[in-house]
Amino acid sequence: MSGCPSFERKLQTFQKRSAQVDNGDDAQAGCNKATKGGTVYGEYLQLDKIVAAQLLQSERKGKKVHDEHLFIVTHQANELWFKQILWELDSVQQIFMKGHVRDERNMLKVVSRIQRIAMIFKLLVQQFMVLETMTAMDFFDFREYLASSSGTQSLQFRLLETKIGVPECQRVPYNRRHYRDSFQGKENEILLKSEQEPTLLQLVEKWLERTPGLEKDGFNFWEKLQANVEEGFRSETRKLDQKPKSEMKKEIMEDLQKRKMVFTSLFDEKCHNHLLSKGERRISYKALQGALMIYYYREEPRFQLPFQLLTSLMDIDAFMTKWRYSHVCMVHRMIGSKAGIGSSSGYHYLRSTLSDHYKVFVDFFNLATFLVPRSWVPRLNPSIHKFLVTAERYDSSYCSEDSD
Amino acid sequence: MSGCPYFGNSHLSSQTFHREEEDESQEGVNNASKGGIIYGDYLQLEKIVSAQVLQSELRGNKIHDEHLFIVTHQAYELWFKQILWELDSVRDIFISGHVRDERNMLKVVTRMHRIAMIFRLLVDQFAVLETMTALDFFDFREYLSPASGFQSLQFRLLENKIGVPDNQRVPYNRRHYRDNFRGQESEMLLCSEQEPTLLHLVEKWLERTPGLEENGFNFWGKLQKNIEDGLRLEKEKLEKKEESEEKEEMMAEHNKQREIFTALFDEKRHDHLLSKGERRLSYKALQGALMIYFYSKFMLFSELDLTVPGTSTLNACPTTPTYHPDNDHLVFLLDNHVCMVHRMIGSKNGTGGSSGYHYLRSTVSDRYKVFVDLFNLATFLIPRDWVPKLNPTVHTFLYTAECCDSSYCSSEDSD
Repeated sequence: MSGCPSFERKLQTFQKRSAQVDNGDDAQAGCNKATKGGTVYGEYLQLDKIVAAQLLQSERKGKKVHDEHLFIVTHQANELWFKQILWELDSVQQIFMKGHVRDERNMLKVVSRIQRIAMIFKLLVQQFMVLETMTAMDFFDFREYLASSSGTQSLQFRLLETKIGVPECQRVPYNRRHYRDSFQGKENEILLKSEQEPTLLQLVEKWLERTPGLEKDGFNFWEKLQANVEEGFRSETRKLDQKPKSEMKKEIMEDLQKRKMVFTSLFDEKCHNHLLSKGERRISYKALQGALMIYYYREEPRFQLPFQLLTSLMDIDAFMTKWRYSHVCMVHRMIGSKAGIGSSSGYHYLRSTLSDHYKVFVDFFNLATFLVPRSWVPRLNPSIHKFLVTAERYDSSYCSEDSD
Repeated sequence: MSGCPYFGNSHLSSQTFHREEEDESQEGVNNASKGGIIYGDYLQLEKIVSAQVLQSELRGNKIHDEHLFIVTHQAYELWFKQILWELDSVRDIFISGHVRDERNMLKVVTRMHRIAMIFRLLVDQFAVLETMTALDFFDFREYLSPASGFQSLQFRLLENKIGVPDNQRVPYNRRHYRDNFRGQESEMLLCSEQEPTLLHLVEKWLERTPGLEENGFNFWGKLQKNIEDGLRLEKEKLEKKEESEEKEEMMAEHNKQREIFTALFDEKRHDHLLSKGERRLSYKALQGALMIYFYSKFMLFSELDLTVPGTSTLNACPTTPTYHPDNDHLVFLLDNHVCMVHRMIGSKNGTGGSSGYHYLRSTVSDRYKVFVDLFNLATFLIPRDWVPKLNPTVHTFLYTAECCDSSYCSSEDSD
């Protein structure tokens, strides 16, 4: 066909070549074990299940639409990765709940797994570019066959939202009904249980409250910080007062006042608790202090991993938001503003989930509001403040060989 | 715990958050409760989500990272299935002759582009598995033997269907790659070797490029004449220059170019390279590709241009992740896989008993590059004014597309 004269002679060529490559060819070293028995690839991965799970509704109804296959596979790939995320999440939850996180040797495991979750979400965002090769017209051809099924029925997605820390009371109701109403029986129970267990947010909050250096009878970070900040502002005000009157001086003064107010609110515990009750902040006052401490002292050896943890948690939030946004954009392009398949208003519902209410670690993002000049940060002295270099180790809880 | 007064209450607090009457996000009625297929059943999730069994756990030594290893490979196989779905549909359009109706070209191009997007995603996917360290992998690797990626049926199928030739394959432990498969799987592979590959189909299609007819536009004859004339003029100009080192260099460069084009118009030489496997397309098909390449700005060819490396995205390097036809991604995928394997196991043996890294590295070579001829077209770039002139009033083939009503398969027949 191709005119290649050796095309028909493939086997002979192959044998000749294999004789040539034998001597000293690294690529040929070794012995094929598959023939000796044992698990082979397809069985190991249960591919008979995975690769047989694509049943086109349009085909069942006698009008096969080519692009439905892509639609199915994309969603199945998402669900596979959701499972992986849950696997990582649950393991991290266990490390916190068993108290194993008190042994700081376990921190690397925690941080690696959180980073891995962020990487997976990043991949899921990239995955949209494949489904974007489907046009709205092609989707329209098979959409009717999807009737009542909808992504709001994805159990794994709800589970991972809940376990990370999306609070049930902040959720946008779906057609005025509770999100859990989409699920029956065992699935409903699983969801209920996940709402009642400690979320990643809550576990991280407790951990932050234990940040060394917060102790009032110890380093007493918070009061030191407050004193430094107040002194810092006093000094800036003094310097500004000495300058001659001018339009610019007025502006700088106003800016100074604004910044002072920000920090006044920072050191006002009542204000924080009020915002907490409104859902605009999500962690306790003590936890906030711990987080700010980690930020300021992130280069101290003991705080390096904790800082990476906070960063990775924010990455998760960022990628989840990007995922939601990519999803909304795609849905909008596919169906415009008509009702969604599960008959919500589709696009409008999804868009409403882009709000900060769904951002779990919003407090870490907001920490940037409270950055101060380095000279205002309370000084640490390693010979006095031993907590900087002495990590906690409890031999009974360090789980290295124990791969949980 | 967090101080939120609503924490733990399961009552609907939605009323305090939304003005219900005008809330667009609340419109609609939940259809799910009316019966009909739901999400989990539609996607057969009970199969997908229960398919992860850790060998390390079965042997009583559960290793956490094995789950990631399994899921990553399963995700790959899911996407391989999708690639095969698209590939087979494109091959069918060619095989059934439907490609002669140029209204079907959009479908072909879209699906090829989709395959390229999927390969791009598969390359991105390595970043997730790279969060596993070699040490963690070592902890469960022993439980995997003798399973090996070499036993991936779908991967072999897609290699074959695209056009990786059997006789160019690097043998695996000195054995034929098909020896890894039994029964029905082996038969499927044999079929995929014998059926027309994408390469063959594209080759035949290229041979039909309008404008190649010797008694018509006669592109090749005209091109050869133009190039010979052009080169002669260049040489005359060069010879008139004063002797200098620069002149010598330019002469040498000129002679090199001359050699390249002499070789281009030497059909015997092309066939010789074909028999060695260094070229993959017939001589006629190569002419068609070059024609499309040069005239891609004219309407008739503007869609076709997408399946041939566009003149602006020319880059013969297989490892850069810019837009490329799917084959380039295949090589990039192989290259990425090789790097990861090297990091994980160094040069130790693979679980299938091969030399692992060394075997894989040998597959990242041009012999696995199916559309190598298209990459090589850049070798033959010439000044624009050497390209035979087209005149739309005379050469009506430029804008008259073929439409054979019986073979146009629009949305009704969605194949």
